[in-house]
Amino acid sequence: MSENIASQNLNVDMDVQARSSDSRGGARGGVSLRLRTYGKQLLPPALAFAVFVGGWELFCRLAGIKPYLLPKPSDIVHAAAENAPNLWVSVYTTISEAVLGFLISIVLGVGFAVLLASSKLIERSVYPYAIIMQTIPIVAIAPLIVIWFGAGMNAIVIIAFLIGFFPMLSNTLVGLNSTDHNMKNLFHLYNASRMQTMFRLRIPAALPYIVAGLKISCTLAVIGAIVGEYIAGIGGGNGGLGYAITVSASRLQTAYLFACGLSASLLGIAFFLLVNAFSKWMLSSWHESEMGSEG
Amino acid sequence: MESLQTYAPLGDSGAQHLVRMEGLSKVYPNGTVAVQDVNLAIREGEFLSFVGPSGCGKSTIFKMITGLTGPTGGMLEVLGTSPKQALKRSDTAFVFQDHTLLPWNTVIDNVTLPLALRGVARKEQRTEAERVLELVGLKDYAKAMPRQLSGGMKMRVSIARALVSRPKLLLMDEPFGALDEITRQTLQLELLNIWRQDRKMTVLFVTHNVFEAVFLSTRVVVMTPRPGKVAAVVEVPVPYPRDENFRTTPEFGQLVRAVSEGLKH
Repeated sequence: MSENIASQNLNVDMDVQARSSDSRGGARGGVSLRLRTYGKQLLPPALAFAVFVGGWELFCRLAGIKPYLLPKPSDIVHAAAENAPNLWVSVYTTISEAVLGFLISIVLGVGFAVLLASSKLIERSVYPYAIIMQTIPIVAIAPLIVIWFGAGMNAIVIIAFLIGFFPMLSNTLVGLNSTDHNMKNLFHLYNASRMQTMFRLRIPAALPYIVAGLKISCTLAVIGAIVGEYIAGIGGGNGGLGYAITVSASRLQTAYLFACGLSASLLGIAFFLLVNAFSKWMLSSWHESEMGSEG
Repeated sequence: MESLQTYAPLGDSGAQHLVRMEGLSKVYPNGTVAVQDVNLAIREGEFLSFVGPSGCGKSTIFKMITGLTGPTGGMLEVLGTSPKQALKRSDTAFVFQDHTLLPWNTVIDNVTLPLALRGVARKEQRTEAERVLELVGLKDYAKAMPRQLSGGMKMRVSIARALVSRPKLLLMDEPFGALDEITRQTLQLELLNIWRQDRKMTVLFVTHNVFEAVFLSTRVVVMTPRPGKVAAVVEVPVPYPRDENFRTTPEFGQLVRAVSEGLKH
């Protein structure tokens, strides 16, 4: 019998070795290969970018278009450099509002989803209203929020939170409700309590869905913060990007307006990449969607 | 249900029947007769297989034993009490065709799950998990993630998880159904070895593979579908340990034929 198990062990060993040597082999031969594939992937878009910006610059110069109508790329860079301290303050303000709103939408979105998922009755009675709430455009209720919470940071954070809340809620809820039937049976057969099933099975199983919600909500939070600043923006030196955009538009500082808009989109991209990296790290050990080498 | 009281609970004396079915029936609301009039007494330490085509009610019998669904007629007694009560005692363990391992947990955390759910002390969880991982030949893979393992290894982990609570009754629902023939035969041998080390453990094994049923079991219950009925009960009077050679003996062939005959009814 011991022989049996020993030989089985050997098979198992060989199996795992074969798997791991596979992946190691891939990494060893991969360094120069990876550089080349990166080059292949990055070169075309970089080239397209250069052609586009160059064409823009050339077009503006040759056609003599007025900078307050369409600034040249060089004007935009110049405006950004000139107002760098102001721009930085605006970016910083918008980041803090977006991150804060995003964090609140995670906590409340996941929290409410867990609450709804733990009782079919609550879910059935509340969820339809959550959907209706979602269909109300945020811009329509933003003035109300300003009335309730006053212009400034509070209202802006709440708007950023509201816009990211529903994607978090619905994604988490779908995740919590799509737990594998066999697994749920197993937990039932081993006498798991509702809490144990929730925290040991349903929430971990919902993580891929929660992560999908995070990716949606993080970019929405940046949009929400900027929309909030349009409506509830605080003046003076501490205004965010949305406020800076409205101000520069009213002063026909079109180049700076472009700089603010580009900063906002860069901010959104950076935020998304950060959340993306976080979700990769969180799921890398077990979920197919984030397994680099095999996927 | 009221008939339960008339049966004395399992005592120290007399023949110990871990599971008793008398006139057990199950009719689903849509009128399908899944199980009809099944009478069976399962002794302690038996390795009993249910064999039959799909739809013969073997899985329904399993669901009733675990209390996932109730019978519509007759009597069912598990560990001397009702199935639901028996489940609460944690003396039963389960292995399904699907390995049902939690992909976000390591092998050892998967194995300790039944103990963790019961609130057993961490240290004891670990010792018990190491014991059963050794038993299934996976003690070097405690820290591995399920996705790193082959199908056969995942099934071993699943078996280890079932054994970790030292069950009196082990229910296996087509556990090797999704494995290739070679892995399947290896695991059959390992399962017999594990069972023989703990002869108090009763194994109920559902399969549609006649060879598997005869190779493993002390008794084979042959079931036929529509309505799900016991067509025959075939004793396998071959002593253990059984090894690969058993598969090629004339006796094995005769028993397989006897079971197959039962399936034709």
